[in-house]
Amino acid sequence: MDKKAKELIPPGLVYIADNITSKQNVLGAPKGTGAKWAKDLNLPKEAKTIFFAGCGYQYATGLEFMMSLLRKIDKSPIGAELPMSLASFQKKIGVDLGGVYRKLLVKDSNSDGQPLRDAVKVLRNLGVEFGYLADDEPCCGGLLHYTGLQNEFAQNARRVYDRLKSHGVKQIISIVPSCTYTLRDLMPKYIEEYDLEVKHFSEVVLEGIQSRELRFPRGVRVTYHDPCQLARYLGLIEEPRQILRAIKGIELTETDWTNREWATCCGGGGGFEAVFPELSEILAVNRTRELVETGAQIIVTQCPGCIMQLENGLKELKIDDVEILDLAQVVAMAMGV
Amino acid sequence: MSVFTDYKKEIMDAAHDERIRIALSRAIKSYRENANNALKKFPHTIKMAEEVRVIKEKAIGEMERLVQQACEAITENRGQAYIAKTAEDALNIIGNLVGRDKLVVKGKSMTGEEIGLREHLEEQGNEVYETDLGEFIVQKLNSRPMHILAPAVHVPKEAVAQLFSKITGQELTPDIETLVATARKLLREKYFQADIGMSGANVVAADTGTLILIENEGNIRLATGAPPVHIALVGMEKLVPTLGDAYKVAEVTWRYANYTVPSYVSLVSGPSKTGDIEKVTTYGAHGPREFHVVFLDAGRTELAKHPVMCQALYCLRCGGCLYECPIFAVTAGHFGDKYFAGIGAVWAAMMMDNKEKAAALAYTCLTCGRCKIRCPMNIDTPEMVVELRRLIAEGA
Repeated sequence: MDKKAKELIPPGLVYIADNITSKQNVLGAPKGTGAKWAKDLNLPKEAKTIFFAGCGYQYATGLEFMMSLLRKIDKSPIGAELPMSLASFQKKIGVDLGGVYRKLLVKDSNSDGQPLRDAVKVLRNLGVEFGYLADDEPCCGGLLHYTGLQNEFAQNARRVYDRLKSHGVKQIISIVPSCTYTLRDLMPKYIEEYDLEVKHFSEVVLEGIQSRELRFPRGVRVTYHDPCQLARYLGLIEEPRQILRAIKGIELTETDWTNREWATCCGGGGGFEAVFPELSEILAVNRTRELVETGAQIIVTQCPGCIMQLENGLKELKIDDVEILDLAQVVAMAMGV
Repeated sequence: MSVFTDYKKEIMDAAHDERIRIALSRAIKSYRENANNALKKFPHTIKMAEEVRVIKEKAIGEMERLVQQACEAITENRGQAYIAKTAEDALNIIGNLVGRDKLVVKGKSMTGEEIGLREHLEEQGNEVYETDLGEFIVQKLNSRPMHILAPAVHVPKEAVAQLFSKITGQELTPDIETLVATARKLLREKYFQADIGMSGANVVAADTGTLILIENEGNIRLATGAPPVHIALVGMEKLVPTLGDAYKVAEVTWRYANYTVPSYVSLVSGPSKTGDIEKVTTYGAHGPREFHVVFLDAGRTELAKHPVMCQALYCLRCGGCLYECPIFAVTAGHFGDKYFAGIGAVWAAMMMDNKEKAAALAYTCLTCGRCKIRCPMNIDTPEMVVELRRLIAEGA
């Protein structure tokens, strides 16, 4: 990245961009850290169809730790300087972000990746055959694009494509909305011969459950939060609702006005949360309030960013009787897997 | 990066301001209800918006020809037309027409805000009255507009009562009807004493040189009808080929601005005239004797050439997108400069030398895309914002 660019791009985003280009994940964690969630699942590394897990869920704990740290700093008297330089911040407050990853390594790996493990179980239960690249899974680099670093994005896209091709991949089942949009819609704009077929997890599930009996373990009132990229970029609006409606015991309720393509952003779009952590939290609280007002006991969504934001919204609103789950977790429970 | 730091402080102060939150939540609720009703009652608007998108695409592609045609038509109508290449040119042209020590009554004009028209005329020694109620409030508060159609969207009635009490020296309650009547009384005589009336235009027909002005208060009719001189400042992107096209643009604009139909729509094509005595055409009957139209370029012809950013010029300024922006809901126009939110960042980049502020605005957009869902022109603001970030990152 040239120096001029770094001057006007908010450092929070430069930091993430550097992580992607140097470490192939948004957190900047050492290679392979993110693949721990799948270690007992025996997923083949070579397969025509692969499950693309994405950074958001694989590094959820680390990202959450980093965000809570950034929010704390942002609210403190030195918060106004946050855009100045993350590096100088770390020095000032004596926090070593690298320590975050070391913490991650000793942390029980079970806390990360539950939605991913459930997604794998659901797909297997539906008889879908697929593999997972594990520590070879590249970062899709979507954030480079949203940061305005199109040259870096193009280089990354080439690396990602070549890596996927070298593993013989033909189809991708992707779960994170942003990765899905990047793999399906953005990359083909940069790679002429792009021929990977990309489907979102919810599309595959909907196809598979047509003749299945699904029942949630208990009767619950559920509302669905549409992630921006899934609803407005990818147009996957009715699919998750059809899945939820197909599950007995689930009563689906919608927010007043702000549902489907009109859903309110959780405040975590395109790296915004790393530039304006405190404002991002205010938006998260606003969106959480809209969802909680439906009277739902479970908020279902499909994006690790949204989940992180909404969890924080619940915490700020001091609400402890509402749960936030990824659709994969809900379907897994309904399948009893 | 001190610009970024200052800006961030500004929007965070706004985000913690309870008054902004209350005023905006009232405004958003009312906008959505009204817009839904208006679109339900006149469902043809959605198809008409698609037609208008085609009209605008074509018009922006031939903006330079249309401005020539409009100037010729206005001249033929016995008005005077000018093309201002820059904001400074526009200020000079209008400054010379107005002169000094004049009383000026103004209709609300975002283009006027863009070039700092009121401030310029005041510095030149004129007394300038904003006549739109919201704009009048903002002027008296020494604030700036926080929404393109509802400039005082961030000011709750309690604050207006306080302000008007100070101006009139009377204790006024926050009763909206009383406040509106107070503004009417304060401004009434100014229209008839004024030397010059000023306006913008919502859309302009190039073939007839007709300005269409949409309003509800009636202040624009008075400001452009009572004084002896009418000067209009219009961005070049407001031009469309024909009067028929212009009507369609106008109807779509007011509908998405949440009105079934506005109280007043004025079509102004030239100075006031009469032929009632011996069929001799005489100018300046009851309305203005002089009619001047200043077309502003200020970066628009450049923007029109950009394959992605040209979309910003399709904007009808209905203001619908702002009510959908989650950041606007908590910061109002503090997320913006002269124009607001994501699309405002594009306008800021077009007309500002201040790259840092433009960058700060560009990186404030969530790229969540709900504005695009609302937009009658289907303007892809997230796409423009990402392109703007690219231009910023590459130092263009």
